[in-house]
Amino acid sequence: MRRLSSWINFHPRSRSRPGLRLLLALAVLLIWAAPSILLAATFTATLDRETVTVGETATLTLKFEGDDPKSIPVPPGLPNLQITSEGTSRAVSFDNGQISSTVSHSFALIPTQPGEFNIPALRAEVGGQVLTTQPLKLTAVKAGAPAADATGDKLAFFKLFVPRKEVYVGEILAVEFQVYIRDGVANAENIMQSFEQYGGCPLKAEGVSIFKTAHAQRRQARVGNSTYVVATLITSCSPVKTGPLSLGSMDVTLGLQLPLPNQRGRDPYDPFGMFRRMQVEERRVALSAEPETLTVLPVPKENVPSNFNGAVGNYSMTISAGPTNVAAGDPVTVRIQISGRGAFDSLTLPEQSAWREFKTYPPTTKVDTTDALGLQGTKTFEQLIVPQSPEIKAVPPVSFSFFDPDQKKYRTLTQPAVPLVVRPGGSAPAPTVAANTRATPDNPPPAQDIVHIKPRLGAVAQISAPLVLQPWFLALQAIPVLAWLSAVVWRRRAEMLANNPRLRRRRQVAQIIRQGLLELRQLASDNKSDDFFATLVRLLQEQLGERLELPASAITEAVIEERLRPRGVPETMLASLHELFQTCNLARYAPIKTSQELAAIIPKLEAVLRELQALKP
Amino acid sequence: MIHALKRSRVSRLTSALARFVRRGWGTGNAVLLLLGVVVVSCPAQFPAAVPAAAFDSANKLYEEGKFTDAVSAYEKLAQSGETSAALYFNLGNAFFKSGQIGRAVAAYRTAEQLTPRDPDVRANLQFARNQAQGPSLSPGKWQRWLGRLTLNEWTLLAVVAVWLWLLLLAVLQWRPSLRPALRTYVFCLAILAALLCACVAATLRETRFTRTAIVITSEAVVRYGPLVESPTAFTVHDGAELRVLDRKDEWLKVSAGPNRVGWLRLDQTLVSQS
Repeated sequence: MRRLSSWINFHPRSRSRPGLRLLLALAVLLIWAAPSILLAATFTATLDRETVTVGETATLTLKFEGDDPKSIPVPPGLPNLQITSEGTSRAVSFDNGQISSTVSHSFALIPTQPGEFNIPALRAEVGGQVLTTQPLKLTAVKAGAPAADATGDKLAFFKLFVPRKEVYVGEILAVEFQVYIRDGVANAENIMQSFEQYGGCPLKAEGVSIFKTAHAQRRQARVGNSTYVVATLITSCSPVKTGPLSLGSMDVTLGLQLPLPNQRGRDPYDPFGMFRRMQVEERRVALSAEPETLTVLPVPKENVPSNFNGAVGNYSMTISAGPTNVAAGDPVTVRIQISGRGAFDSLTLPEQSAWREFKTYPPTTKVDTTDALGLQGTKTFEQLIVPQSPEIKAVPPVSFSFFDPDQKKYRTLTQPAVPLVVRPGGSAPAPTVAANTRATPDNPPPAQDIVHIKPRLGAVAQISAPLVLQPWFLALQAIPVLAWLSAVVWRRRAEMLANNPRLRRRRQVAQIIRQGLLELRQLASDNKSDDFFATLVRLLQEQLGERLELPASAITEAVIEERLRPRGVPETMLASLHELFQTCNLARYAPIKTSQELAAIIPKLEAVLRELQALKP
Repeated sequence: MIHALKRSRVSRLTSALARFVRRGWGTGNAVLLLLGVVVVSCPAQFPAAVPAAAFDSANKLYEEGKFTDAVSAYEKLAQSGETSAALYFNLGNAFFKSGQIGRAVAAYRTAEQLTPRDPDVRANLQFARNQAQGPSLSPGKWQRWLGRLTLNEWTLLAVVAVWLWLLLLAVLQWRPSLRPALRTYVFCLAILAALLCACVAATLRETRFTRTAIVITSEAVVRYGPLVESPTAFTVHDGAELRVLDRKDEWLKVSAGPNRVGWLRLDQTLVSQS
């Protein structure tokens, strides 16, 4: 705009001429609208970096400015360098009234071998003119070598750490695989996590038994001028053959994200950068740790214990056996625990030559490790041995030999014999009870064996149903119940009579009548006339008195007319009563002499008494 | 031995009857008492000759270490119908020595039912129970207390208490004037009779109506269902005592505790009352 205004100022007088004014306007428009036509075209080739590691990607950018190229030149193929087109982009810029158009085409260059790669000059026709770039040189270094940025420090690298360079065959060792990622790598956390969650073994080696892999605590380390975050994978392994042993690591290509510089320009719509994503540049880095070489030594051939079976490490041994009081032919369990540091998976129990007098079975094993790598722990062997003879007095000593790589010599552990009581064949295993409590009168020591058999048969009986389920016994229990019930009934009856004088008199009269009739028969047979009629009158008085609720002494013949007739007593009964009373009166003056005559009166009396008893009081 | 016991018991009762008659209790009452004695003694028939010789020969086999032969001899004796606590005790010993803990426990339990207070039987039963590995039911404190007397002993104690109580009640009907003097005795006897009857009921339940399965194989799998394909609930071993809850075909539903219930094959157990 400044150029335009100055130009206008340079021709101030042209305003007064309309034709010139139009021409000037057209000229200005042409000059302003088509500046690019007036600019010269350019063609450049650049590499984003000059040094990469093998497998890492370098980017070759061909940039055309001023005009579009007629065709995109392709870098020539070079040995051990993969060239891949990544596409074309166009950028249009407007600066001080000038419109510039830039076409960029990128190629990914991935060296597969270390070395120097010379990219020759490229030619392209742009805007009708042929342009040529400068040759470029790309240096590829092997993995592990510096993949350095501008500061010269590596962005990431792997490292193997082996605690000892000389190990014995069969010795267990822990090899560390360390991943270093420099501070500032945007996706370092994700990479670290993926390593720590890696389930496989990071080592590559032949002639090594790999056991377990675990990750250690993440840490920070300073290497050179940079600080690195270090993730560590530890693998337990054991060499299985002697000689030099090369330990390598897995090859990994990492995509490291580096923040782009100059991100401080403010976005007018996001002045605080709240919605701005960090712009990163991704660099793909192929990493592999430098191999480590170990020397695997054979175990010494001198002073080898007779029962050495290849165990290498540092161990201790305990033994227990039980039961220790058995019959010949019964099993005894020998529990051998070998604790310490070593390759427990391959640890086996050496053959015990002293167990020849026992029948043995293959032991069962159980490994309890105390660390994640299985380097330390306890292996338990449970061995069943069966004594074959009562002469055996002990479980023989158990020995175990191993090579101690720290002391570089063989060691033999021996546990003493365990006393054993073996009874003649067929005996059951008599249990062994640990006497771990002090014997007191209240707390007798635990028995060591069962009480011996009884010599005499003792009381012999037939097992029958218990008394409580036998019917006769249950029936017998009715006796006290019935007795008590009888007493209760008797008591109730007595109380009832005590509270009912009429009933009591009726029963007394009935008793008197029963006894009086017997007495009458006796008097009749004895021909005692006076007594007979006196008794008869008494019986009539008793019965009539009871019915009429009058004293017996108050009963006379007149009562018949005064009390019985008004109550509607049948005439025949009244007549019979009159007759009996009159017979009694007559007998005072003219006694009846014969027994038959007296006895003939009794039925009449009985009939009258029955009728009176039926009479309602 | 039991003949001698019973004969001496009867002779003592007879002499007591003679004393009653001499003291004026009356011949009628004495006869009634004699009848009661006869009725009580009725189920215990005088057995045949004691096969002591067979018992001795079985003991000899045991002493010679021929425990399996001893087991056969003792079992043959037991199957003849003549039983004694000593026979089952020795049978349990022979089973134990031949490595059959479960059968030993069963034999000791039978011996314990016959002589619950025999210290030898109790010791060997406890010893055998201690050898049983894995889950097993052991009698509780209350059960052990009840087991100090046999069911018949508990029954006789309860009967005596009940009879005395009813007798006192009858006396009170006959002589109401004695009621203030005897009231305390009646009350105490009623409490005692009730407690003893409860003990009888508990013992009867434990000894007659509770079934116990004793494992007789070295290892038996208790499953969640009465099928071979059912998953394993837990494992029991020789000598384990389990409470039988149910039975279905050839399977027993057993319990070894509050949370240990499952099905066990019948042929791996001896099922006994209690």
